[in-house]
Parts: sequence; structure tokens; C-alpha cells
Amino acid sequence: MPAPEATPLCLAREAMGTRFEFVLSAGDLDEVSLRAVGEEALDEVVSLGERLSWFSMGSVVSRLAAAAGAEPVRVAPDVFSLLTLSRQVWLGSAGAFDPTIAPLLRLWGLRGRVSEAPPTEEALAQARTLVGLDKLDLDPLACTARLGVPDMSLDLGAVAKGWALDAAASMLRAAGVQTALLHGGTSSIHGWGAPPGQRGWGVRVAPPPGSSAPPLTVLLCDASMSVSAPHGRRGVAGAGHVIDPRTGLPAGGAELACVLGPGGAACDAWSTACLVLGERPPGLPEAWTTLLLRGGIWQVRGPQEACISQG
Amino acid sequence: MADLDRRSFLTHAAGAAAAMAIFPEILPGAVRMPQGPLPVGIIGYGRQGRRLTVELLDKLGEAAKVVAVCDTSDSRVQSGVGRAAGSEGFADHRAMLDKVKDLGAVIIATPTHEHRQIALDCIAAGKHVYCETPLAHTAEDCLAISRAARGAKAVFATALEGRSNPIYNLARSFYRTDAVRDMVWLYAQSQQKTTWGRKGDWWLDPAVSLGLPGEMGLQQFDVFHWYRNSYPVAVEGRGAIRLHNDGREMADTVRCLFRWADDVELTYVASLASSLGGRYETFHGVNASIKLAWSHGWMFKEADSPQLGFEVYANRQQFHNDEGITLIADATKLASQGKLKEGVGLPYSPAYYALADFFKAIAEGKAPAGTAADAARSTIVAIAAAEAVKTGKSVSIDPEVLKGA
Repeated sequence: MPAPEATPLCLAREAMGTRFEFVLSAGDLDEVSLRAVGEEALDEVVSLGERLSWFSMGSVVSRLAAAAGAEPVRVAPDVFSLLTLSRQVWLGSAGAFDPTIAPLLRLWGLRGRVSEAPPTEEALAQARTLVGLDKLDLDPLACTARLGVPDMSLDLGAVAKGWALDAAASMLRAAGVQTALLHGGTSSIHGWGAPPGQRGWGVRVAPPPGSSAPPLTVLLCDASMSVSAPHGRRGVAGAGHVIDPRTGLPAGGAELACVLGPGGAACDAWSTACLVLGERPPGLPEAWTTLLLRGGIWQVRGPQEACISQG
Repeated sequence: MADLDRRSFLTHAAGAAAAMAIFPEILPGAVRMPQGPLPVGIIGYGRQGRRLTVELLDKLGEAAKVVAVCDTSDSRVQSGVGRAAGSEGFADHRAMLDKVKDLGAVIIATPTHEHRQIALDCIAAGKHVYCETPLAHTAEDCLAISRAARGAKAVFATALEGRSNPIYNLARSFYRTDAVRDMVWLYAQSQQKTTWGRKGDWWLDPAVSLGLPGEMGLQQFDVFHWYRNSYPVAVEGRGAIRLHNDGREMADTVRCLFRWADDVELTYVASLASSLGGRYETFHGVNASIKLAWSHGWMFKEADSPQLGFEVYANRQQFHNDEGITLIADATKLASQGKLKEGVGLPYSPAYYALADFFKAIAEGKAPAGTAADAARSTIVAIAAAEAVKTGKSVSIDPEVLKGA
């Protein structure tokens, strides 16, 4: 008889206001060793979350906001890379993804509730003067960043989970973990290897409640994946939690957007852009796969199309 | 018992918040080196080295620039070099000291038993040194490092994070001015459910590791030493394995009882099998008790204790039946701005304040908050505790050995 397959190890931790779960298969590691490396990777997720947290006075986000309109802030190289990536996606999506969106999120009650009523046009216009990644100065030589207008602030929540999963995956792979599925809040996912007898990790993408569209299953293997949708958390007047930075209004481009590709942070950023635009962004490289749900119809495009099935 | 005169302290404190406003620089950004960021090498890029590197890169960029990462593991070197862009990787600290000519300071975060040779080499090379604690795994090594650091021209700082922590300094000012009065007893715990490593990790090796008393307890023991200006004379201990009985010999759950010459006792418990309560220290006095939890601190006053003056506006927090006065660094300024609650808890990690103090010591030519001698003495106490846990017997702590540090 063949030896029974080892049960995968499941670990979880609260971070970034959500739950991160890791499913790890042993490879050459014994269970305690696997648990140890998994816990260390989860520690890293917590640490990265604190570094980007809007709520931590010590985070890079808080320091940049405190110095907005004044002097540049020296940031860690990995944070600088994340800001550079954000700028690339901002450019590639014609501003549909924009981490300077924080003032608009505040108006919609998505970063502390300021009002029960939807924001007025004047308030939106005023807030929009503080939005735009063109107002973020990045100096690669000095490794500094500067928000150009006083009261500007960054919200890196749209990319933080994928960024953390990238780092965790890197640690786990270096430690010898050969098969794993990691997710943060079920919307940012990274998988490599495959469960026994499978070609990848089956990840179901469910349509929003009330949609007539069928669910899709993505066979995820050595890739990241990110799902964005307006449903779930709500702001004032029932606004969805994704705001279009170009208009200041709740995003209405698509009912759901999903991006598969080689990096978690990038997947997170591009999926937000897809949702806002309601279509594949012009600057998204061909190597990335997109799933868009519009009008109850799925549109799938990209090299991993064959890994996606109904059901 | 107290160094300062209690009456004069209360005179300053009464009716004003002056006594609480002793650390105006809890927010970072203040540490700048006169000649620009100091080139720094990280020696040891494990969990602790990574944590310190992040603090340097994230928050101390005006004080330090990480130019070299050294570790015996190639994958760790690659990881460190990847994080600290532009830095150079090394497998041996001597090669790093030889090659990186403009290196100004080093951070030593290697396994404890490797500290001695690395520290001595760095001191001999004239570098400023920040060394993790425990300082070493034997008293002999502790004393050797302490002696070498005493003769060094450069700064030698140690990771005794309580000593540079603004909340701990504030609480100590209350303690030292007798606000708690006579000690009843002392308590500390470190509880965190974790696997804490895997086979082959050095900290699970009883031959070179001080186990939980050293790796988790030492910084807490040092808080009591620092507050009391004295050291215990004996320690009893017990240990057990409660979580992963996978052949490891190092206890994952320990209890120690330290006794001072004045008969005050400290109970210390640590466990990697249960998380309840986390990590904190308490000083129980007849007038008040102080609870310190690294990012937060509270004072619990007895109903019959005298007024200190600041209670009127103090921020309070309820713990079941007890009401704690939150210890807030920079409270006067915050209170005047109506932002007292925003000051609850440290904005940055204790490690940040320890590193910031190191660079300030270099810039200002002053002694660091945690010296090699401080760390040597607290490590010798931890060595005794580790021995007590291992043997289950009472272990004496020789004051003469501590004096040699």
C-alpha cells in the first residue's frame, strides 16, 4: 500500500484587519519545523502590515502624511519599490489605481466616518485636489518619497496584503516549503506546488450576491491572484469600498475583477484598476490574466485562460 | 530607597504635568548624524537582525545607512542585501571589517555564543557597536566583552530596550521617587504560543543557549535591576516541555524565583505554550503598583496613597476591578493640545528607541542607555536563572562577579 499523504499544516494569524491563512505541505521538513517556518512567515506578515498601517503613528504611511507638502522622507528600499510599482500601475491604468486616494476614502467613511451623508460635490472636488500619484515625488538615488501637497496621504491597503504574501512566500520557499497556498482575507492569494494528485490549487471565485453568473474555479500554480469587488464593507450611503480616484465616486466599472500573475502586490494593484475601469487596463502586460464580471458575464483573457473553468 | 528626594519630586509634580513631560522626543526623525548617515554593517541576519534592519531602514535613515550584511547563511545574506539595496554581502565579519573601509558602526545580532569574538574584533577595529542581548552565554565571555568595551574609544551599546524606552523611563522616575513606596513583590512574564524554532536552531541547544530566561527574560530582568539599582543574590527555577515534545531538551515553559538581599522577590514565568497576558513586568508597592508592557505602562494607586498631582487629568484604563493611570510620555504637551489619548502607547517599537539611543550616543559622544557592563550583569543573572531551570536547584549570584563587569 502506498504511504498515506501527510495532512497539510494550516496556520492563521490576524493582520491588516483580516485573517491570513497558510496551508503548507511538508516536503522534506518535519511538522514542527514546518510550523516554525510558517509562524516566522506569519510574523513577517504582521510586521509588514504594521509598517504600512494607516493606524500606526510609526508607519511609513503616517510619516509621509506628517511630512506632506514639506520635506522628503527617507523610506526603506522595499517600501520604495512598492511605491515605484504603485506608480507603474497608476500610469498603466490611467489613474484608476491610485494609493493617494485616502482623502476620498475618508469622505466616504471608509477611513473613519466623517458624516452619515454622501459627500457634496464641493467636498469631493476639494478632496480630489489631494489625490494623484503625480504629486508623489520619488527620488531613487536618495530613496526618499515626498507627498507634494499638505494634507495628502497614502493608503496602501489595496496592495499591502499581496506585498506581505510576496514576502512570506519568499521566506517559505527559501526555507524549503515546496507546496503552499497562502491567502490574506481570501482576496489576495499565492500558491505554488500542488496538492497530491492535482495540477494546482483550486480557488473558487464566487460572483457577488444576487448575480446570476456562475462561479469560476482557478487552478492556481506558481502564481499570485487578487480579487477585487465593491461588495462587502460599505461606506456612507451604502457606497462600496472601492472608490474611483478619478471621479471620487464609488467604482462602478465591474461587479468583480480578478488578476493572476507573478507578483502579489502587482496583482492587488491591477485588480483594483480593473474593477474601477471595468476593463483590462491598457498598460497591463500580456503575461497577466484577467477575469472580469460585467453585466453578469465573465470575460477571461490572458495566458492562464486554460486554468479557469466554470463551477 | 529612592535616589531623589520624594518631597521635592512631588513639589514639582503637584498641580502640573511637568514630571510626566520628560521625553519630548518620542516621535522619531530627531536622530541625525552630523556627517550624514553612518555606514552600518549588520552581523547576523536571522530574525533579530532582520527586525533591527527594518528599524534602521524604515525609521533611522537619517542616522544610518546599511552598507553591509553578514551571515554564515548565504540565503540570509541574499535576503538582507535584497532588503538593504546597495549593501554588500559577507559570510565572515572579519572580511566585512577588512573590506568596508568606511564602516562606522556594526549591529551584532548573531547567535549569543558567537558574540564574544565578533564584539572583540569590532572593538579592535574601532567600530561603534550595538550588541544584542544576552551579551554572551558564559560569565567569562560577558566579562571579556565588558572589559574590552570599557577600554574602547567608540560607543558600545547593548540591546537593553527598557532603558531607552520613554514609558519605562517615565515609570522609573515615579519608582525612584518612591511613588510606589515599599516593595511588596515583583512579577514578570513572557507568554507567547509559538513553535520557537526547529531542530538545529542554536537557541534550542542547551550547550550554547540560555533558553527562555536568556532569550526572553533577560530584558525583563534588566528592568528590575535598573529600577532597583541592585541585583538578585539567588534564583530558583523549574522548567518543562508543554507544547512540542519533539525531542527538544530546552524547556518551553519555565518558572523562576529571584531573591534580592533585602528579601524582595521576583517571580518570573515564561511559556511558549500559552499566550495569555503576553509580556509584562509589575512592581507591587504598598502605595501603588506599576505595570509595564513595553509599548504601554500603567500605575495603579492604592486608595490610601497620597495624591501625586497629575491624577486630575490623567488618562485611565479599566482592568476588571482595577483602574490604571496610563503612563504617557510627553503628556504635558499632549494634554495642552487636548490630545492626551493620542499619546497612549509608544508610536514606535522598543527596538527603535534602543537603536536611536545608540546613534544619539555616537552623535553626542555620550554613554548609551544600555552599556556593556549593564548587559554583562543582567546576562550573568540570566545565566544563573538558566542554570536553575536546568538543574531545578537554587543558584547563587555572586555580587563580586557582577562587580567585575
